[in-house]
Amino acid sequence: MARNSSPTENERSRVRPISGGADRTMEPSSVAVGCERVTHEYGTGSTVSRTVTALRDVSFEVATGEVVGLVGPSGSGKSTALHIIGGLLEPNNGTVDVLGTDLTALSGAKRTRLRRDHIGFVFQQFHLLPALSARDNVALPLIERGVSRRERQRRAAELLEQVGLDDRMDHLPSELSGGEQQRVAIARALVADPEVVLADEPTGELDTGTGARVLELLVDVADERTVLIATHDERAMAVTDRVLRLLDGEMRQAGQFSDEQ
Amino acid sequence: MRQLLTKMHAVARLTLRQVRHERGRTVFVVLSIALAVLAVTLLASVGLGVLQTGEERFDRAGQDVWITADGVELTETGGIENPITDSHRLAADLERRDDVKTASPLAFHGVYVGTGPDDLELVTGLGVPNTHGDLSLESGDGFSEGDSHYANGTYDGPMSHEILIDPQTADRFDVDVGDTLYVGASRSSATEREFEVVGISDAYSQFLGTSTVTMPLSELQTVTGTTGTDRATYVTVTTAADADRAAVSDALQQSYPEYDVRTSEEQFKSLLSEYLLVLASGATLVVLALIAGIALTVNTLVLMAIQQRKELAALRAIGLSRGFLAGIVGGQGLILGLIGGLLGLLATPAFAFGLDHVAARVVGFEGLLRTPPEVYVGGLVIAVGIGTLGAIVAGWRVARDARVDTLHV
Repeated sequence: MARNSSPTENERSRVRPISGGADRTMEPSSVAVGCERVTHEYGTGSTVSRTVTALRDVSFEVATGEVVGLVGPSGSGKSTALHIIGGLLEPNNGTVDVLGTDLTALSGAKRTRLRRDHIGFVFQQFHLLPALSARDNVALPLIERGVSRRERQRRAAELLEQVGLDDRMDHLPSELSGGEQQRVAIARALVADPEVVLADEPTGELDTGTGARVLELLVDVADERTVLIATHDERAMAVTDRVLRLLDGEMRQAGQFSDEQ
Repeated sequence: MRQLLTKMHAVARLTLRQVRHERGRTVFVVLSIALAVLAVTLLASVGLGVLQTGEERFDRAGQDVWITADGVELTETGGIENPITDSHRLAADLERRDDVKTASPLAFHGVYVGTGPDDLELVTGLGVPNTHGDLSLESGDGFSEGDSHYANGTYDGPMSHEILIDPQTADRFDVDVGDTLYVGASRSSATEREFEVVGISDAYSQFLGTSTVTMPLSELQTVTGTTGTDRATYVTVTTAADADRAAVSDALQQSYPEYDVRTSEEQFKSLLSEYLLVLASGATLVVLALIAGIALTVNTLVLMAIQQRKELAALRAIGLSRGFLAGIVGGQGLILGLIGGLLGLLATPAFAFGLDHVAARVVGFEGLLRTPPEVYVGGLVIAVGIGTLGAIVAGWRVARDARVDTLHV
C-alpha cells in the first residue's frame, strides 16, 4: 500500500508543535532535501589502507511531505547518503540542501542545531539509553531545547501513545521487544516535531511481520513530514511514495512507486 | 537561566538513573573509591599518630634538653652506637650549673634476652641512671636501689641484676615479676648473666616504639663491655625552675661545642628527620592509594563511555550537545566519588580502632592511629577529587568519542 492520502486535520492535530520547539520561521521550500552531485569517499581501517567511494555523483531531490525509500543492497551507499543528509557525514564533493539550507556551508555546531530543530533520526539498532524508561528516552531530545520536565513527559507520553506503547512507557529498553524498542526510537525521532525524518535500516533488527508494521507506523505517525528510509528491505516500497535505487554508490533508478511494479 | 537550570536538573536526573541502573559497576567503583579513601585516612592517621604520640612521649619524659653527638646510628646488631664517652662525668658537670636541675645519661644497646640458650632474642636494652623516677608500672615495684654498681666510675659496686621489661617482652618469654631472664651482649655471653624481673612497664617501649628491657646504666655498660669509655647515647637535662629551656640549650651548646644540644622539640624533629625514608614510604603509599583509586574510577567510567559510544553518538545525532553528554557521564564520577568517599570515611573509625588494637597487641604501641577531624576532611576532599578527576577524564572521552560519524559503519 503506497502512501497517497493526505492526513486529516484531526490526524494532524495529534502531533502538535511544542512550545519553544522547532524553529518554523525557515523559508518554505517545495524541495525538502536536495543532493547535487554528491560524492563521498572514506579510507578503510584495514591493514592495507585503501579508499572506498561510497557515493559517486549522486543527485536527487525529495519534496516536502514526500516519503522516499533509498533502496539498495548492503554497501550500496544508502546509509552514507542518509547520514550526509542528516549532517552526520560531510561529503567530499557536491552540495546538500536541507530545508533550504546548504549543509556543506554549515559548521559542525550549526549542523547539530539543524538536526536538533528540524531532523529526526531512526537507527537500525535503536540506540536507546538502557538506564532510561521508554518515556525518558523519548523525551531526551527535548532537554537541549530547554523544555520543562512536565512538558517533556507529556509530549513523550503523547508520542508513545501514538506508536501504541501507552502501556509500556515506564519500561526499560531491556524489557521491550525489538519492535517495541524501534517504536520508542520512532517516537524519539518525532518528539521534537522535526520537518524531516531520516530512518536508517529501521527494520534491520526486526522480523518480517514486525518490520512491516514498524514501517507502516513510521509513515503513519510521520504524518506530513518528509521521510527518507534507507533500507535493503524491498517491503519499504509498499509504504513509500517513491523509491531511489542505489548500487555501488551510484543512483541507478528513480521513480514513482507505480514504476516499480 | 531557566533553560540552563532545566538542563542541569535533567543532567542530574539522568546521571542518577545511570548510577542506579548500573548497580554492579556502581558497587565496584564505590568500593574502589572507599578503599582508596580508607587507605589514605588510615595512613594519615598512622602518620599523625606517630607524630602526636612521639611528641607526647617526649613531653612525658619530662626532659628539657637532649645532648648527644654526631653518629647516633644503628649498629649491625640492631643497637645504637653510643657516641658520648665519659657520660657520668659529663652529667655531673652539667648538674653543677645553676640553670640545670638534673642531668642523666641514657644508653641504648642491642642485647640478647631470653629464658634459656635456645630462645634468645635481640631486644633494645636501655640503661638508666639512679632510679626510674615516677615511671608507672603495670606490676612489680621497680628497681630497689640506685645505680650502685657504678661506684664513682670504678664499676665494682654490687650489681642489682634487676630489670624492667615491657608487656610484649613479658608475653614473648612468658615471664612475670620475680622471674629471671638471661641478658647479654652476645648469644654466648647472655646465659652468663641472670636478671630478675622487678617490674613491667610499657613506658620505655612506648617511647622508643619497640620492645625494651631497662636496667641500671652501669649494669648495661658492664653487660655490653663499655665501662671503659662510659658510653651513653644521650645525656638528658631538666632545667632549673626559672630557666628558659631554649636559652639553656643555647648556653649548653656554647659550653659544649663538641656535642649536639637540642631542646626536646628540636630533638623530636631531629629524630623524625632520621626516619625520612619511612616517612617517604608512608607518603608513597598514600600517593599509590590515590593513584589506584583515580585509575580505577577513571577506567570504569571511560569503559562505560566506550561501551555506550553508539548510544551517546546517537544522542549527538538527535541534537544533544557534547557538553550535555559529558555532563551525564562526568556527573556519575562525582556521585560515585561522593558515595565512595563517605563510605570510606564511615569505615575509617572502625578500621582505625581495629588497627590500633592490633598494633598495641603486636608492637605495644598504643595510640598509633589518630583520627582528628582534619583526617576526615582530607578524606572527603580526596574522594571528591577522585570523582572530579574521573568525571573530567570520562567527560572528555565522551566529548571526544561521541562522534556522530561513529554511527556510520
